[in-house]
Amino acid sequence: MGSYIARRLAVTPLLLLGVVTIVFVVSRTASADPITSLVPERLLGNVEVVAAARARWGLDKTAPEQYVVYIKNLVQGDMGTSFRTKQPVSRDLMQRLPATLELTVTALAIAALIGIPAGVAAAIKRDTWVDHVVRLFALIGSSLPVFWTGLILLYLFFTQFEIAPGPGRIDLRALPPAQVTGLYTVDSLIAGDIGQMIDALHHLMLPAFVLGWAVMGIIARMVRASMLDVLNQDYIRTARAKGLTSRRVIYTHALRNALIPTITILGLSLAALLTGAVLTETIFSWPGLGSYAVEATRTLDLPSVQGVAIFAGGLFIVANLIIDITYGIVDPRIRVS
Amino acid sequence: MTKRFGYLIVILFAAVAMALVACGDDDDDSASSSSSASSDARIDDDERPLVIARAMDTLNGDPHRAFCDTCQIYISSVYQTLVGLDFSDNTTLIPRLATEWSASADLKTWTFKLNPAAVFSDGTAVTSADVKWSLERLANLKGSPSFFMDGVASIDADETHTIVVHMEAADASFPAKMNAPYTAIVNKALAEANGATGGEDAETTDDAEQWFLANSAGSGWYVLESFQQGDSLRLARNENYWGPSPKAAIKTVIIQEVADAVGQRQLLEEGAADIAMQIDPDTARGINSDDVTILSVPSLNFVYVGFIVGTEGVVGSDIDLNQNVRQAFQAAIDYEGMIDVLLGGDGRRQATAIPNGFLGTANLPLPTRDLDKARELLAAGGYPDGFELDAPYWNTNVYGVDFNLMLQKVQADLADINVKLNLQPLEASVIFGNLSEHKVPFTAIYYAPDHPDTVQYPQYFAMIEGSRWSGRAGGNKGPIVSATQQDLYERALLTDDLEERERLYDLLGREMISDAYILPLANPNLILAHRSNLKGMHYSGCCNVELGFLYRVKE
Repeated sequence: MGSYIARRLAVTPLLLLGVVTIVFVVSRTASADPITSLVPERLLGNVEVVAAARARWGLDKTAPEQYVVYIKNLVQGDMGTSFRTKQPVSRDLMQRLPATLELTVTALAIAALIGIPAGVAAAIKRDTWVDHVVRLFALIGSSLPVFWTGLILLYLFFTQFEIAPGPGRIDLRALPPAQVTGLYTVDSLIAGDIGQMIDALHHLMLPAFVLGWAVMGIIARMVRASMLDVLNQDYIRTARAKGLTSRRVIYTHALRNALIPTITILGLSLAALLTGAVLTETIFSWPGLGSYAVEATRTLDLPSVQGVAIFAGGLFIVANLIIDITYGIVDPRIRVS
Repeated sequence: MTKRFGYLIVILFAAVAMALVACGDDDDDSASSSSSASSDARIDDDERPLVIARAMDTLNGDPHRAFCDTCQIYISSVYQTLVGLDFSDNTTLIPRLATEWSASADLKTWTFKLNPAAVFSDGTAVTSADVKWSLERLANLKGSPSFFMDGVASIDADETHTIVVHMEAADASFPAKMNAPYTAIVNKALAEANGATGGEDAETTDDAEQWFLANSAGSGWYVLESFQQGDSLRLARNENYWGPSPKAAIKTVIIQEVADAVGQRQLLEEGAADIAMQIDPDTARGINSDDVTILSVPSLNFVYVGFIVGTEGVVGSDIDLNQNVRQAFQAAIDYEGMIDVLLGGDGRRQATAIPNGFLGTANLPLPTRDLDKARELLAAGGYPDGFELDAPYWNTNVYGVDFNLMLQKVQADLADINVKLNLQPLEASVIFGNLSEHKVPFTAIYYAPDHPDTVQYPQYFAMIEGSRWSGRAGGNKGPIVSATQQDLYERALLTDDLEERERLYDLLGREMISDAYILPLANPNLILAHRSNLKGMHYSGCCNVELGFLYRVKE
């Protein structure tokens, strides 16, 4: 296992270089000029201003020259400076990551917490009302667009019932907790401010549920299908024949094997959500990576686009690695092979 | 493994239970702000933060590099300019850092006298050296707002409080330009200590842009407390504020990023926000609460369509978009219907590319729809059977105007004279790139004023040397220059006699109507939605809203 992980880690820089190169080439072939992100529309006719902006941001160099400079800087840990925020891209990413991490991890936890038991229940109670309810809930979750669910739930629980807070990570008038991890729930706890931690959790639940519901549907359906498959295997019949309790058969023998494909979904969902929670972040005014990525793409903020691509690429590579390692833990046969 | 899985389940259930308990708590802030104002007693040292919900633009904290709507609000709250604007009429210039100003007889030299009481937020005096350095930095950075210094030959500052600006040519509008927030006066010593430079090489040597994202160095009502891109901007009251208007009543202001109008409305209704800045008329009409006040005030912003006559490689490149054709479009558009459809009636027609309310617009004829005239003009232009034309445009929504809806309305109106528009919604980076490459024959854009003088409009829209639309409208055929418009523009700069300037701008406006390169579609009202206990709400032509004038009343 150790040498396998080492091999995987060794090729990671090459994979990232591939990602960077593809993103760089694709972004340069876009039928738009990034100078429009740097100079307001009203001044695009001002030759002096445009020339100064091109020189300042390196856009007066040829694309291959820009590529060489970018890779050189990247090797030294410099991802460039954002056209929009005027801050180093790495700083932008680090500022935005905790918000997204807090949201997506909670969303995934909610999805797993509800989705796995629901999938198990649906499989055990196949073709009963339990199964129908779970499948309907899963279908709605995975079918409804997140922006619609978000707006409706925000309208119902914030505006109508007034039991959920509005957009934002904490009360808009409150000062954020002193930054340690960037996770407001954790930082407020570290600061000993339980009131603010509850406020942060309060703000987190609705967007996390909205985001988690879509994944929850997929997980529930995946667990149900896997469980049904596993429950028909010979070794389950053997386990039952040995006189094991139904609970032990399901949770020790069946679920453990049925979880293998679910782990894949969970891992890839986390990676996808970290960079793709755009709509939820927009609706709930959540200052995370998803909205950063979209805004960067929309405005041709090339350093930010490249930074997000490298980050996302790295995330997927790591997620796949973790999934493979987890496979080995869950299923010893994989570890042996 | 089973035991670990069981622990995980327990932990996750506990987390959900804690969150559900939290969901049951009431929001004290919302509750306390839900009752309407019952008296008019001003709260002077108001501890409750003022929350403004708005979609922030690409905010740049450096006043000499910034150029956006949110930037105007921020800069005008934290910095001061030489000259102020009376927002009750949005035309009268008033003293701010300068107590008085005057011009030489030839309007080539402007002298400003600084208020000796003026101090920056760190308590140091605002001197003529700060003014000279700030204005030179604005010019030398060659940033987005550097054009405010166009035409300035040199600046002299004495050792006390006098600044003399020498112009290359007569410019009656210069004091008005000194009202634009981007001409902010910055604390030279503080900025220089943090990487700012003002010399001729400032473009390459200035290194303070990032510092300005986390700090401020002004003399305005507030100081920058913190700024998180995409999240919030937090201002704290400047306790060293010197004047000339009273100190800010509200101690903390938070501009919170809320991207959409519905989200802004929800926050406002619940009391979580005090002002929703970008609510469109339809969303505003849905608010039915005594706790919220909706103001629909005339603005100085407008949306327009424009022609580019020299294009290549697009549908319509072969069409001669001559004056008759352009005037046919002008006569075919249903302006009243446009305002109803786009703004629910909350807007006004506008005669030319100079908004209603600016000097010279009072007597200009407003556009009306006349289909017979439009068909005659189209025939006279050489296209009695109409034609087909690409119309790429910026897919955006500004001032409550949805550009998709607006262009669909234009498309429907022009279909009545057999002109078929191919609508092509594009992102800003694409449309403006295409404009530079002469691939856009007809498009829609918007404009908001930079300062209170009419001169900015001919400088941008008129067919005169150096104007943006003079170069753009000609496309690959080169700039279009009208000798008449050039003459009227230059004469307006040569006089500070208001009546004469009004007469000249009126004539210039009529010329711009006649050439019909720019067709203003609507002058939208600004919807200002705020909590009813908040007073002093206004629309400022220079700054959107000047935060120092806002205050709450006791309920």
